Amino acid sequence: MAKINIDGPQNAEVSIKIPCEKSFSEQLFIMEEYTRVHKEGKHLDKAQREINCIKVLLPALFRQNETSDLIAGRLDFLPIGFGSVTSIGGVGHYCVFHKLRAFKDVLDNEADKVKIDTLYDYWQTNDVKAIYCQDVLNEETGRFIDCKYPFMATARLSGMMLDYKRLLNLGLDGLIQLLESKNQNAFISASIQTIQLLQDVIEQQKEKIIEDRKTADESRKQELTLILDSLTHIKHNKPDTFHQALQLFWLYALCAGAINYGRLDDLLGTFLKNDIQNGTICEEDAYRYLKSLWLMIENRRTTVNGRIIVGGRGRKDIEGADLFAKLCLRVCKDTRYVEPQFTLRISSETPEYIKEMAYDCIASGATYPTLYNDDVNVPATMYGMRVEEEIAEHYVPFGCGEFVIQGKSIGTPNVLINMLKVLQMTMNEGYDPMDNEKRVGSIHVPNLVEYKTFDDLYNKYKEVLNHYYDLSVKAQMHSYKVMNDHVSFLFNSILMDDCISREKSLLDGGIEILGGTNETYGNINSSDSLYAIKTLVFEDKKYTLQEINEAALANFIGFEGIRKDLWNAPKYGNDHTECDALANDLYEHAAKGMRQRGIDAGMGYFLIVISNNQTNTDWGLQTAASYDGRRSGVYTNPANNPQGGAAKNGPTATLNSLCKFDAKYHGGSVQNIKFTPRMMQEDKIKVQALFDTYFKKGGCQLMVTVVDHGILEDAQANPQNYPDLIVRVAGYSAVFVNLNKDIQTELLSRELYD
Amino acid sequence: MINIFNIERFATHDGPGIRSVVFLKGCPLHCPWCANPESWDVEPQVLYSKEKCTNCQLCATVCPTNAISFVNDRFTYDKEKCNACKACEHACTQEAIEITGKKVNIQEVMDVVLKDVDYYNQSNGGITISGGEPFNQSEELFTLVQACKKEELHVAIETTGYTSLENIKKVEPFTDLFLFDIKHTNMEKLKKITGAHLEIILENLIYLTQKDANKVIIRVPVIPLFNFCEERIKEIIDLAYSIKVKEVHLLAYHTLGENKWDKIMKQYYSNEPMVRKEDLVPYIAYGESLGITIKIGG
Ligand code: SF4
Ligand code: SF4
Repeated sequence: MAKINIDGPQNAEVSIKIPCEKSFSEQLFIMEEYTRVHKEGKHLDKAQREINCIKVLLPALFRQNETSDLIAGRLDFLPIGFGSVTSIGGVGHYCVFHKLRAFKDVLDNEADKVKIDTLYDYWQTNDVKAIYCQDVLNEETGRFIDCKYPFMATARLSGMMLDYKRLLNLGLDGLIQLLESKNQNAFISASIQTIQLLQDVIEQQKEKIIEDRKTADESRKQELTLILDSLTHIKHNKPDTFHQALQLFWLYALCAGAINYGRLDDLLGTFLKNDIQNGTICEEDAYRYLKSLWLMIENRRTTVNGRIIVGGRGRKDIEGADLFAKLCLRVCKDTRYVEPQFTLRISSETPEYIKEMAYDCIASGATYPTLYNDDVNVPATMYGMRVEEEIAEHYVPFGCGEFVIQGKSIGTPNVLINMLKVLQMTMNEGYDPMDNEKRVGSIHVPNLVEYKTFDDLYNKYKEVLNHYYDLSVKAQMHSYKVMNDHVSFLFNSILMDDCISREKSLLDGGIEILGGTNETYGNINSSDSLYAIKTLVFEDKKYTLQEINEAALANFIGFEGIRKDLWNAPKYGNDHTECDALANDLYEHAAKGMRQRGIDAGMGYFLIVISNNQTNTDWGLQTAASYDGRRSGVYTNPANNPQGGAAKNGPTATLNSLCKFDAKYHGGSVQNIKFTPRMMQEDKIKVQALFDTYFKKGGCQLMVTVVDHGILEDAQANPQNYPDLIVRVAGYSAVFVNLNKDIQTELLSRELYD
Repeated sequence: MINIFNIERFATHDGPGIRSVVFLKGCPLHCPWCANPESWDVEPQVLYSKEKCTNCQLCATVCPTNAISFVNDRFTYDKEKCNACKACEHACTQEAIEITGKKVNIQEVMDVVLKDVDYYNQSNGGITISGGEPFNQSEELFTLVQACKKEELHVAIETTGYTSLENIKKVEPFTDLFLFDIKHTNMEKLKKITGAHLEIILENLIYLTQKDANKVIIRVPVIPLFNFCEERIKEIIDLAYSIKVKEVHLLAYHTLGENKWDKIMKQYYSNEPMVRKEDLVPYIAYGESLGITIKIGG
């Protein structure tokens, strides 16, 4: 038995998953079989053990295709299995303990329940993440997600964006040939078996389609024949048509457990263009295929992932890519799903009609596309990740907004810091006022009276932060080590530079750029707190530090005057020069501090991301009152945005504040803005000018929610009337009524511009 | 120093493009439907939100001039005594008191306005000076428009036109656009309800249109029981036509300013319903027939 229990939610899960199609006994059988093969593989090379295990899952877990599907491939997953991310299944050889327990609860047979207990026991010491947690979790480091701690760590391989171009250029037989030309070490030989397994998957899909065709009506028969022909072709050959290319890409992504898809316009645009030119398909056909893809991605329900990125610099065939982008914009506007997270990279070269379509899509309330500014992000990526321009041009945001280089880098966010808790500990001799636990390592944090100047306090805060930056790098590196000890991530490795040439799996030295990211939270609450302290205590001398801390410890009950002064002190998001400068100083401290530590540890890059996936709300619930006037238990500021209610000078002021952080130090930051439909329509030209100016001024990213006055309030009161009201949480969109109350309230608190 | 009560950034209704609107305090008119009644008095004053007040009476205790007192537990405020020290605002924990209006120097105004220059440039926007009646502080206004022109900003002034021709002549060369209010064409009615003299307003209007009619947009607040009838509105459009003004804005009366009347503790205009924008649509065609663009709203 492991001493550390990691049972509990492991990621934000808003969208309700579609249950596995198999019967409980079939599911149990697969999980037992997986466990048996895993156990027996103990002494095998990890790559061989991995492929043996995956063969238990694939093709078995593929489910029935839906009659609306225009490409084949729907995959279930179980509480035990193999994966890379927690959004679907888990990491490496995984067991999702709370889901396994839930599975046990639905079984009615006692003998089966005992079997589950046996599985649970086995995986407690074999689940890759559990092994990692065993090593890393301690009094300062919490499990992801356990918001009691100022710092959380996890093992996962999030945000893999594979080089599907290699797949489409070579085809499966071509990939096998390439692999066969290498030294046949355990990794290479398991990789060959991996591709062969994918061919088995395709064969099984063919059988399913043939079966479906028997009962289909005429028009469906035609569709199924198209799918069947494509499957037959891609089983060995590289794709010739758009449909074949789409089909091959999709099945590979499913098998790899990839839930972010990357620059599909660059991947598929030429196929599309050629097919249309030579009359194989018309635009409407392509539109239908993409609509089907959209639905199939939606049905995977990964909540914060599902990135499809179009537009931007570095695409080979711009004409084809833009054609593809245009169709995606149409599909996105028509479908209005929360996934895929449809993302548009724009630059000074983006054609006007694409920008126009994007605006209309956003104005319609789709919350997509999310906009990324290449003119800022490409140079920023060059610096941040230390890569050449041609490489930086292939940056892609995944999940809630972290950047990776498609096909070349790993950037999984395996550590998270709550900067506000760190400030509170700095104010309270190292103790977190929320639970009176001391969590500052061996750092001496003095009594408040010792801080004679603002810099005394600020420097001590930075010292404690540094301690957490150190922990971050260690925990991140260790996650790679543990994952590498146990798995090769074969499907991922095959399509990532430079694993095949180096004949090594991803984390074994195969990956070209070993990066990583650290999610930071409460950044703005912290800098606003510091600014309020600086002015009220050290400049105006209106209060002492003790008085302010005492008021916060009391959650401002009986100290309403102090709270009012703290809350009314200048806040980030209002274009206030000094306040924003302090926010920027803190940002750079974190960003540069983390980046340098990453470099020193031998990583390609290690960057902070200022994104959000409702963690600001979850963590806020367990974060004490702060010196910016925020009360205990209230959400912290979302991503890189002001605290709800703090931005009082309109969108230009807020966007000006947001532009002040130099993008080159971070690995992704998220800015949300909310407009009414009236403004988006009647003042369209002005809003467009607003966005354009923001991007010209150095804005790196923007996501827009369009919602009317009172709608969110009404939806909170009458959820039944709003089954498909989509809102932008921060790094992802969600159906508003599916969010829990605290998160809804946080969204309500954000400024709405009309 | 100039008395202002607000600077609104990203304003989209008062002139072309993205603008910042600087609201100057003080107005010689007293239109009973005014949406900014706190702008009438040039001096700063207390805004009081009854619904937030818990009647703790702390404000009266801290007020050094006894401007605030409680008569039968009712908040009473004597503007004449108030010196705008803000002690009451700071003391009130309920945020029930806000002092509106402050004296600032022109540079402070410019510092805020210049923060959005990039947005003006992108959208052909600029600064709009509104009120109150901006010409009520004509010297300060003159300094402000000069400062704006030095920064090459597009300058619009929203005015009732109720000021001396002298003032208009001075400011005109530094102004790109006048959003000129015409509320009524009947001298007596205008005088009775708002206190303004129509002949002065018209003299100024004609001066400006003779200088350059393209620099003038006529704005008409469309108010029930005052000017909301076909004859009146058409008269104003005809007036525009006769002096070659190419654009008229019909601003539908709304009651959104109502709670501000509560806050200055005065009775609001009437219980008339808001004017619906749809009711103003027919005038678009009428304007068109005269070659005038009619816009509903700003
Ligand atoms: S201090 Fe505020 S709450 Fe108390 S009586 Fe005055 S206005 Fe009302
Ligand atoms: S601003 Fe000063 S003088 Fe005026 S009412 Fe408030 S406390 Fe009294």
